Amino acid sequence: MMLRSIINITIREWKRILTLPEHCIVLLLLPPLVCFLYGYIYHKQFARELPVAIWDESNSPLSRKFTFMLEQTESIHITQQIHNEATIEQLMQRGVIQGAIHFPARMDDHIKSRQPIYVTLYTNTAAVVTGKLIYKDAAKVLITAGSGVILQKLMKTGMPQGKAMALVQPIRLTSYLLYNPQFSYLQYLVPGLIAVALQMMVIMVTVLALNLEAQRGTLPELTVMANGSASSVLLGKGLAHLSVGWLHYILVTAIVYPVFAGGRMGGSWALFTLFTLLIMGCISIGFMVSAIVSDVMVACDLGLFYTSPAFVFSGFTFPRWAMPWYDQYYAWLMPFTPFLDGFFKVYFMELPLHYVYKETGQLLIYIVITFPLALFFLQRRMNKLKLQHA
Amino acid sequence: MPDFFRHITRLFLREAKLVVQDHSLLLTLLIAPLLYAFFYGSIYSYKVEEKVLLAVADDDKSELSRTFLQQLSKMQIVEVVGARDLKDAQEKMYYGTCQGYLYIPGGVQKKVLALQQGDIVLAVNAARFLPSSELAGAITTLALTVGAGVRLKYNEMKGLNSQMAMRETQPVNLDYRPMYNTRSSYGAFLLPGLLALILQQTLLIGLAESMALDKQKKNVPEMLHMGGGSLSATLWGKGLFYLVLFLCYAFFFLTVNYSTLDIPFRGHAFDVAVAFIIFFFTLIPLGIWLGTLFPSQLMAAQMMVFSTYPVFLIAGYAWPYESLPVPLQWLSSMVPTTPFLRVYQSVVQTGATLADNVPSVLHLLALTAFYMLLALLGLRRLNKQQQSLSL
Repeated sequence: MMLRSIINITIREWKRILTLPEHCIVLLLLPPLVCFLYGYIYHKQFARELPVAIWDESNSPLSRKFTFMLEQTESIHITQQIHNEATIEQLMQRGVIQGAIHFPARMDDHIKSRQPIYVTLYTNTAAVVTGKLIYKDAAKVLITAGSGVILQKLMKTGMPQGKAMALVQPIRLTSYLLYNPQFSYLQYLVPGLIAVALQMMVIMVTVLALNLEAQRGTLPELTVMANGSASSVLLGKGLAHLSVGWLHYILVTAIVYPVFAGGRMGGSWALFTLFTLLIMGCISIGFMVSAIVSDVMVACDLGLFYTSPAFVFSGFTFPRWAMPWYDQYYAWLMPFTPFLDGFFKVYFMELPLHYVYKETGQLLIYIVITFPLALFFLQRRMNKLKLQHA
Repeated sequence: MPDFFRHITRLFLREAKLVVQDHSLLLTLLIAPLLYAFFYGSIYSYKVEEKVLLAVADDDKSELSRTFLQQLSKMQIVEVVGARDLKDAQEKMYYGTCQGYLYIPGGVQKKVLALQQGDIVLAVNAARFLPSSELAGAITTLALTVGAGVRLKYNEMKGLNSQMAMRETQPVNLDYRPMYNTRSSYGAFLLPGLLALILQQTLLIGLAESMALDKQKKNVPEMLHMGGGSLSATLWGKGLFYLVLFLCYAFFFLTVNYSTLDIPFRGHAFDVAVAFIIFFFTLIPLGIWLGTLFPSQLMAAQMMVFSTYPVFLIAGYAWPYESLPVPLQWLSSMVPTTPFLRVYQSVVQTGATLADNVPSVLHLLALTAFYMLLALLGLRRLNKQQQSLSL
């Protein structure tokens, strides 16, 4: 009997999802749009060919060689030749250049006469992404070039190449940038942005799942259908929303992640488990708000204020440990935070489920706390309704 | 003309009353901007990330490796976590207890003393972008510095005096000068833009909700009547409340928030004020026009929530405009955030003037005219629809 009413409520909820614009647009129309937009924004993966000026007071073979090497890098594109520091500032303020490199006068002569020289790199770090990219490439070129100069000097003294090389770089650091070796923005940002958008969508709809019924006068019909049982309502509606969540999972793991972000087709069992727990957590939280707050607009605003900060607080772009303690606590109010920690492991690092036991446990806490609260408040409302009708 | 101002004043008061009476508008327009500004701002209050956990497995256990690790633990960016061996270090990264590991195999010092290259290995979890890139950069610099130290010793052993040995050690040096954000901190970069985005989004969401509410309640003819039948008086009468409110917020953010969050302000207050006024003159018609498109206040709130991230991502602030695909560059150019953030960032962070940003100011003004036209057309359409329904 209960099972039948749950199934009926699930079917009814699916019909509501398909027909109510407040549900249909957010759950079915927006996800593909948002997914493709995010994928498309970072389509080029890297910021390339950033405008950089050269201030060459040396005008020597060496400075020209360095300039050529800088131009060969991915992020640097030499667009201007300038003649003083003031121009660098002016051009940066007008957004014409993002960086500049200065070669001092008589650079070659100084090197030959054992005078260390300083090549200056200026970056407009008000835009930190471009500033860091230019620094990374310029530093690589200038360190390599500097090492070349040392190598030549040592070999001129008659030292064999192997030994000279060992002195140029006595400690050879081999760096492995695991899971995103090229620091691709596409690979890094898109999966997380999409996950946060999906959790927002689920919460923004489920905060309306119960109070909208009351506002539109359909709650008595639902109560009858559920035989007055709040658990049947929540389970029936929850199943419908969970199945929509699985559709989202198919969309992102079968199309968006593989096509746009180089992800594995279909994801993995561990990712599916983690995603399901996130969706269940979001559904429970949404139901709880919807059962407690009867004004749909206020519930919608609560959903908005609750979900909007999830991305920045989760530590995706700026690590949580670098935030003040109260922000770190606040981050734990949102299920996206443990999800993200687990997501790094199962999606990017492709680790099996046992590595995310802590995160799955944390996600379960959201469900265990909010679902009973939703149940309690809804049952109270349904009982009141019953009494009114009696 | 006095009539025009009288109509505008009446509509301004009407809007103020509407906002005070509607819980949702009150929450969005009066509480959210302040709460968000302090809340979001506090995340980046330390500006840079420090103490990134790095597991270290030292199989060499030599004087050189100990010196290397001593230098490593002195770095602000790193917090060293001991690991028994390479496997243990890897497991620590897999469980998320550290962001990477450094492995020093046995025999490194021996090799260096025998004038051979000693190899050490760094593995960082680059799935976490910011800490891993900082970590890799810092350890690369450390390895180069230790290498330079070895060369210095060699030069001294060769009989060069310490000054000459020093000169020979590093003939070509990089002098890095990050301008306008000397610590290259993520917080100093993001905070100014974030505060502007909070102003923009709360204004747009609130105004679009309010307009959608008027549409839902079929109040547009009444609004137009209060505006003396003038569409522009109606538009600016309704918008004036938002203009005044958000100019106050902007002033508050640029003074109180900037000082509490320690954000440098390098430009002239006049230039920023002008930029904000033009920006709000663009956002108000845009918000009203968007509001005329939504069937209800609820839908306006629901849809507008999802505009925040895409608008910020295509505005050229977090990701260079030139690196967007061309169709998205067109879309980005239609969003007022793009030219505004260009002017605002340039003035506030680099100390430029409006004269340095003439193309972006003109761009913003063109968008003002465009969205004003759309808002007026939207109001006219709604007025006609609702008038015909009431007949």
